[in-house]
Amino acid sequence: MSEVKLVNIKKVYPVIERNKNKKNVNGHRTGNLQITDEGVVAVQEFSLDIADKEFIVLVGPSGCGKSTTLRMVAGLEEITSGELYIDGEYMNDVAPKDRDIAMVFQNYALYPHMTVYQNMAYSLKIQKASREEIDRKVREAAEILDITDYLDRKPKELSGGQRQRVAIGRAIVRHPKALLMDEPLSNLDAKLRNQMRAEIIKLRERINTTFIYVTHDQTEAMTLGDRIVVMKDGYIQQIATPQEVFDHPSNLFVAGFIGTPQMNFFDAELKLRDGDYWVDVEGASVRLADEKQERLKANHVEEQAVTLGVRPEHLLLADKGIAGKVTVSELMGSSRHLHLTVHGKDVIIIVPSTGGSGNYIGSEVALSFDGSNAHVFSKATEKNLEY
Amino acid sequence: MTIANSSRSRKAKAQLFILRVLAYLFIGILVAMCLFFFVMLLLMSSKSNSQLQGAFSLKWGGHFLENLHNAWNDASTNIPRGMVNSFIVAMSSALITTYFSALTAYGIHVYEFRFKRAIFTFIMAIMMIPAQVSAVGFIQLAYKFGLTNKLWLLILPGMAAPVVFFYMKQYLESVLPLEMVEAARIDGSSEFRIFNEVVLPIMKPAVAVQMIFSFVSSWNNYFMPSLLLTKPEKRTVPIMIAMLRSADYSKFDMGKVFMFILLAILPVMLVYAVLSKSIIKGVTSGSVKG
Amino acid sequence: MAESRRIKHRKTVSYAKWAYIFIIPFFVSYILFTLVPQLLTIYNSFFENYMNGLQQIGPNFVGLGNYKALLSPGQSGTIDILKYFGNTMALWILGAVPQFLIALMLAVIFTSARLNIKGQGLAKAIIYMPNLIMASAFSMLIFALFSKVGPINKYLVASGIIEQSFDFLTVKVSVRSLIALLNFLMWFGNTTIVLMAGIMGIDQSLFESAEIDGSNSIQVFFDITLPLLMPILSYALITSLIGGIQMFDVPQVLTNGRGTPNLTSTTVIMMLNNFLSGSKNYGRAGAVSVLLFIITGILSTIVYRMLAKQYKD
Repeated sequence: MSEVKLVNIKKVYPVIERNKNKKNVNGHRTGNLQITDEGVVAVQEFSLDIADKEFIVLVGPSGCGKSTTLRMVAGLEEITSGELYIDGEYMNDVAPKDRDIAMVFQNYALYPHMTVYQNMAYSLKIQKASREEIDRKVREAAEILDITDYLDRKPKELSGGQRQRVAIGRAIVRHPKALLMDEPLSNLDAKLRNQMRAEIIKLRERINTTFIYVTHDQTEAMTLGDRIVVMKDGYIQQIATPQEVFDHPSNLFVAGFIGTPQMNFFDAELKLRDGDYWVDVEGASVRLADEKQERLKANHVEEQAVTLGVRPEHLLLADKGIAGKVTVSELMGSSRHLHLTVHGKDVIIIVPSTGGSGNYIGSEVALSFDGSNAHVFSKATEKNLEY
Repeated sequence: MTIANSSRSRKAKAQLFILRVLAYLFIGILVAMCLFFFVMLLLMSSKSNSQLQGAFSLKWGGHFLENLHNAWNDASTNIPRGMVNSFIVAMSSALITTYFSALTAYGIHVYEFRFKRAIFTFIMAIMMIPAQVSAVGFIQLAYKFGLTNKLWLLILPGMAAPVVFFYMKQYLESVLPLEMVEAARIDGSSEFRIFNEVVLPIMKPAVAVQMIFSFVSSWNNYFMPSLLLTKPEKRTVPIMIAMLRSADYSKFDMGKVFMFILLAILPVMLVYAVLSKSIIKGVTSGSVKG
Repeated sequence: MAESRRIKHRKTVSYAKWAYIFIIPFFVSYILFTLVPQLLTIYNSFFENYMNGLQQIGPNFVGLGNYKALLSPGQSGTIDILKYFGNTMALWILGAVPQFLIALMLAVIFTSARLNIKGQGLAKAIIYMPNLIMASAFSMLIFALFSKVGPINKYLVASGIIEQSFDFLTVKVSVRSLIALLNFLMWFGNTTIVLMAGIMGIDQSLFESAEIDGSNSIQVFFDITLPLLMPILSYALITSLIGGIQMFDVPQVLTNGRGTPNLTSTTVIMMLNNFLSGSKNYGRAGAVSVLLFIITGILSTIVYRMLAKQYKD
């Protein structure tokens, strides 16, 4: 129940051993991270205002700095520079126990020698809460998570899903100002993961607090977040609502990272004709939708070679347009994924499954798309030209 | 084809049978050797001195309780006093050794700090230096400061036990995810409390095994105590046993001698009888991993 | 703002200071009870410092005098410390050779899936047991059993194997054999268990594929087991050697500190003990310790290298 504000946060891991740094720094892969004289820069220029009771999801591939950011909010990692405020209070140097936050870990980190009840009661016990208060709060949280029956069991006697609930229970039992979750569902199998995702949505309605959630799974990000923060190589790529990220990805990386199957990219030309923007691609020419016209005009975008992005579900089979040849056809149930070769490049489209045998393989098709679904990115900066 | 096969398989079966018999025989002989001395000790401690002076016999002597009574009440050796002293030293050093080794291992395992690697390397390096190398200076200091005959002087050095440290470090690496510590931090626990309430309980198996090993090695330790403990009422069991060796055997009750030996090894043997499984497990898990 | 006073602000959320707090007891104890005495030992080795009766001689600086005295021939014409070191090594080898051979055989037998030995738990428990027995008590037991008037002699005479009592403790071969026997009994179980863990750590499919390739058990042992066991085997051997150099309790108690016969079973540590317990000859004892330190230091470096290598994996 509070606002969290991050201002220009930066995290640098000092390089301790010169000859080993290439591979591993504190278990984080360094990949494309910037390495300066001070060390490996895991996060930089991170600024974000999180509103009270907001659900924020940090998403990105592994090594993008999302967990490091979360751990800095928790106080588990030192903040190299920048400022962190919780409810207006400067928090950089405050120990985790004094930040009044709770955290759910990927591997749950339940205390193996304590029962579920003791696990959940531990933080209250440390705060010297009365026995009645502890009991009331533990049972209340157990009720919410439907784990009342397991209170006397040890963690190792529980299934993965149950452990997950206990880990969440331990976090919510003391009504923290902010609930931090670090990939909480990634140790579960696909079915349980879907189930728990729904549970978290329900949980959010019952406990009114600020959530900061880290995941590499874009589905979790899209379904859970009020706003999502897409990160890569230590930098924020985009902060926006899930809808906004999906409809107006800020750059090529976000466009490719969000959405499955991945957005298709084509080499194209952005042209101005009679004051309107058109994209010419593979012999087809499409006028961009009015909304996009305005945004491009506002930015004074000039004619140029661009990368055109169109999502698979927005590419339609047509009489004429971009020519391609079907190489693979996957029936997904209600829809069908067609893999095509267009000018030597792989393209995926989604078409309704019509029920017929649908022997598409080898057939020559033409593709078209609507001007409202075309995303144009600068070749030079990879930025969305709308921004 | 089938006939050839079956004769071959019969031959193989016979071969395996012979191998098995030989293997069991081999194991049997070694087991018998280990038991022989223990059985002899029990047998001899049941005999009166006159029985022992007389002809050799494998019969139970029937004077076991009498020997026990005599040995227990022998004023010149005072074995009860020795056992109490030994117990105080062994138990305290077992507790101190395991607790501080675990604490040190935890400190180095969990925290990132500047000299982490150097300190770890240093402890590994001093691991193999024999205790006797420091004995000269230790004894000299003990005499200089009048600390001979102080049992705590045998206990406190146990705080720095590199071998136990190494075992604990390896154990921590296999059982303690850092997230567990972080979870406890977020739960509001202080660093010291995290170690005592979260980490130590998780380390219970390792602590138990190392407590047994340190207890046993301290109980059996002879070299340093024999140089430091000069007063009769401070002697530990191994010193008393070694002193029996210089007694005059023409006048000595041998039944009592065997009983002393039995009493000296009995506590450890009793612990072993109960916990042999986990002790044997502990032999390997610390020293070398596969 | 009232809120802010409740929250404790610290310099950082770094926990490094806790690491130092937690490892301080170890180092204080190490410095006080080990390092300082060690340095003092080395210091002592350069001084003449002993009791002659009730008279204190020294401490006087003698440079390398103690080392010179140790390494030059005594009245009998032999260099004592070399003789004792030779004794120690002889005693160690006599025990270690059967210890390692038998432990190796046992480890292979116990881990063989084909032999499928039953009752392993009990057998292991029994062969490991001697390792926990107080060495001084075990030696005293052996002495009591093998003494001139002890039961073994009585049995041997009564059954006509020998004509009259044989004093095991006056003959070099028999004294050394008894010490070796004791060391063997005390350690072969331990070695067996360590080697077994080593064998079980080898990928089982290697044995299977070797068998399918047509190796017999003996070939499997020499081609697969032994080479892959080598790191652990050599580790065990060197630690056994380091332990062997420190041999004290068994010969001390068995021979009543005299190293009978004729000092042929006196070990280096027994020599150190004699310097310390009688004349408080800190100078000479210090020099013995330093030599001991150098030898074990070399051996330890080898072990450390092996451990460090293993630790990296």
